[in-house]
Amino acid sequence: MRAVLRWTLTRLLIMAVTLLGTSVVIFFAVRQMPGGYESVVLGPLASEEQRQAAAERYGLDQPVLVQYWHWVTGAVQGDFGISLVSQVPVIQELALRLPVTVTLALMALSAAVLIGVPLGVLTGLRSTSRSGGALGRTVAGLGISVPEFVLGSVALFVVSSVASCFSVGNLASLSGEPATLVRALVLPAAVLGLYCLAATARTTRDAVMNVLVEPHVTAAVARGETPGHIVRHHVLRNASVPVLTLLGTITAYLLGGAVIVETVFNIPGVGSYMVTGLGRHDYAVVQATVLLAAVAFIVINTVLDIAASLVDPRVAAAGGRR
Amino acid sequence: MTAGTAGTAGEKDGVIVSVTGLAAAYRVRGEDSPALAGVDLRVDAGERLGIVGESGSGKTTLALALGGMLPRSCHLSAGRIESCGTTVRGAGGETADAAQLRALRRERIAFIAQDPAASLDPTMRIGRQFSLAMRAQGTPMTDAAIDEALAAVRIERPDEVRRLYPHQISGGMAQRVAIAMAVARRPQLLIADEPTAALDAEVRTEVLGLIVRLAEEHRITLLWVSHDIPAVRRWCTRAVVMNEGRIVEEGPVGTVLVEPEHAYTRQLVNALRAEGTEGDGR
Amino acid sequence: MRRLDLAVLRRRPGASRDPLMVAAGIVLGLLCLLALVAALVPFAGSPTEISGPRLSPPSWEYPLGTDSLGRSLLPRLLEGIGVTLVVSATAVLITAVLSTAIGIVAGYAGGWLRETVMRVVDVLYAFPAIILAILVAAVLGAGRVATVSAIVLVTVPLMVRMIAAQAATVAHRDFVTSARISGVRLPVILYRHILSGVGGTLAVQGTYALSVGILVEGGLSFLGQGVQLPQSSLGLLVQEGAVYMVAAPWLLFAPAAVLVASILSITVIGDTLRDRLEPREVRSLA
Repeated sequence: MRAVLRWTLTRLLIMAVTLLGTSVVIFFAVRQMPGGYESVVLGPLASEEQRQAAAERYGLDQPVLVQYWHWVTGAVQGDFGISLVSQVPVIQELALRLPVTVTLALMALSAAVLIGVPLGVLTGLRSTSRSGGALGRTVAGLGISVPEFVLGSVALFVVSSVASCFSVGNLASLSGEPATLVRALVLPAAVLGLYCLAATARTTRDAVMNVLVEPHVTAAVARGETPGHIVRHHVLRNASVPVLTLLGTITAYLLGGAVIVETVFNIPGVGSYMVTGLGRHDYAVVQATVLLAAVAFIVINTVLDIAASLVDPRVAAAGGRR
Repeated sequence: MTAGTAGTAGEKDGVIVSVTGLAAAYRVRGEDSPALAGVDLRVDAGERLGIVGESGSGKTTLALALGGMLPRSCHLSAGRIESCGTTVRGAGGETADAAQLRALRRERIAFIAQDPAASLDPTMRIGRQFSLAMRAQGTPMTDAAIDEALAAVRIERPDEVRRLYPHQISGGMAQRVAIAMAVARRPQLLIADEPTAALDAEVRTEVLGLIVRLAEEHRITLLWVSHDIPAVRRWCTRAVVMNEGRIVEEGPVGTVLVEPEHAYTRQLVNALRAEGTEGDGR
Repeated sequence: MRRLDLAVLRRRPGASRDPLMVAAGIVLGLLCLLALVAALVPFAGSPTEISGPRLSPPSWEYPLGTDSLGRSLLPRLLEGIGVTLVVSATAVLITAVLSTAIGIVAGYAGGWLRETVMRVVDVLYAFPAIILAILVAAVLGAGRVATVSAIVLVTVPLMVRMIAAQAATVAHRDFVTSARISGVRLPVILYRHILSGVGGTLAVQGTYALSVGILVEGGLSFLGQGVQLPQSSLGLLVQEGAVYMVAAPWLLFAPAAVLVASILSITVIGDTLRDRLEPREVRSLA
């Protein structure tokens, strides 16, 4: 257990370092965006006094490191600054949009886990070759190969030309009750979830197949244990480590995919906020949304790493390397 | 259907294993590469038989076939296998079904694997997988009984070892745990395939001695696959020499491995003398 | 067991051809060839010339129909394939060279150097692909350079990790140790032993990176941050198609089909490569 504790502390330390590095990268990258703070706020025709006033207001006259410090400490407390374009605090907008994106991501994720994992276990136990039959490979490959912007567009086309029962495109006001939100998000979540489902099924299948050839499973077979017993006790737990790792990758995918799916379906979530902010050179919005995505990814991955060490104690014993 | 019926006449005669005319081949990318080419083998109750030969001689394939443990890529084309009263494969090609083979492996045959540490489930504490394996075999054991079984393979402080994960113990200790698990249900036949290949020399002698002692103590017939001729000479009663899928010579170890008749065996034994080693068995 | 492993793992190259792999190779090869020929000889017409009626459905004259300005889609699609493939392949080539250099040195050296590299890689890895790409496009300004840079930054972390891990494994093999003991110089060891040891990893990861590249290019262009008009790319064409999909579905489906086909073929090739280079036995529990 001491190894697990040390592992957890190491992971947390690495998480802190990564968070720091990420925030630095975001802050300085966004500073490099063409246009400049003042001209975004004031337009190109502003006078010199106006510029100075704006610089003071946004703290642009201070040294860069001080600006960074203010930004980071503010962000930790939920203060992401004020949108340069709409002059509304970014956090207010995020508070409205975050539930939408989280709901969307959770719907996609639950489809992946609830369908993908059992599917992967079944095919992994039954398959006779590592890459599976031609049909299975093509179907799984298709799920992974169709980008969400293609799938989303095609889905929109099918829905808009065949059935008008989905309230596609009417998502402008999502502050209503949760049930409406969920119903409106079914199609986008399906688009987002297909990849996750295919990836989960595939990874689970590979993981199960890799465990099946491990000597301890052969040993269980040699003891005359039944397939059901072996799967329950010796395969599933062992196979879950790569699946946990994959969930981290899927998180990244969901965060990124949400950007595209929200744009395709015109959903007022964090992703479309990012894209709009980018189009308007709204630094504060881009900074805040990108930071949010990166932080979510880092934190979730750290949690999954720690979970993996609880499932398989060797993970922690192997040390800090991944 | 004669396949799979327990308690045949063979057992009464004290014959544990009887194999006749066994031929097997691995199918690799659509091509057959033969592994066994007409093997006859008889193992009597209570003896300790060493199967020696180089890598690729077919000794592992033979050992696996006895428990119906061959991989899918290997298929038997001829011959008959009878192990511990179960007809694993009849002369007509009929085979025991999965349930019969499971019962055979659960109750009468035990295997000890090459890589001890890997043969334990890495995600489970020693004690838990021990008791789980016993329960799966229909012979549940209490923690105290497991401690006793671990103590019998000379593990000190078994109650502590029980709470450890496999990666936390040494290879030698992992192999002793595997041996304790294999012997705990008192099989008739213990098949050990290079059980000490992954251990260093000192531990090796100890583990081999332990296997032999337990086999004698519990009247378990031992079938030991090895390429370590001196060790087989020391620990076994009888030896079988395999080459290219055939048994080229068999007999008491004192004859076969000391004054071999067959050219191939002579070669093996002489190569050893030339090296001047007496192997790790001593 | 040793015997068994050998028998199963020994595979003769080309002993049996995988039909799916062959199909994938043909699809990919054909797409490359078409794009190349169209770039040299505009057999299907000019991609920029406004020659026909707007949004006309596929016909003999316009095999894939025309777009909203009256340009024939086929030459635009061919140009798009070329642009997408060139952009992705360039980026993957850069990634491969960068990651091989960094990964080999970090993996061989180990210690604090590897730790440092891994922490930097972790930072890059913490950005979801498309978000990192958006950030790059924001800084560099939308266009081809940004797209290539984005793909490189997205694909480098994973490849560095894989190559460093592989190089670390190879570095501890006996032949490397003996080379080091017998006084072979470090660059020679890295070049001769370690580089050849990571070749397989590089091939598999490079193939996967190529499909990631196409995805990133597509996503970025779809958001209007990648390749810019009047040039075309697959992502750009899909985005255009999505706008007019009710009136002219062919504008969406033709580029979408080509995009999916190319990613699918590359994935199939990557999987087959992986299976060839890292073969495994399959077992049943019965």
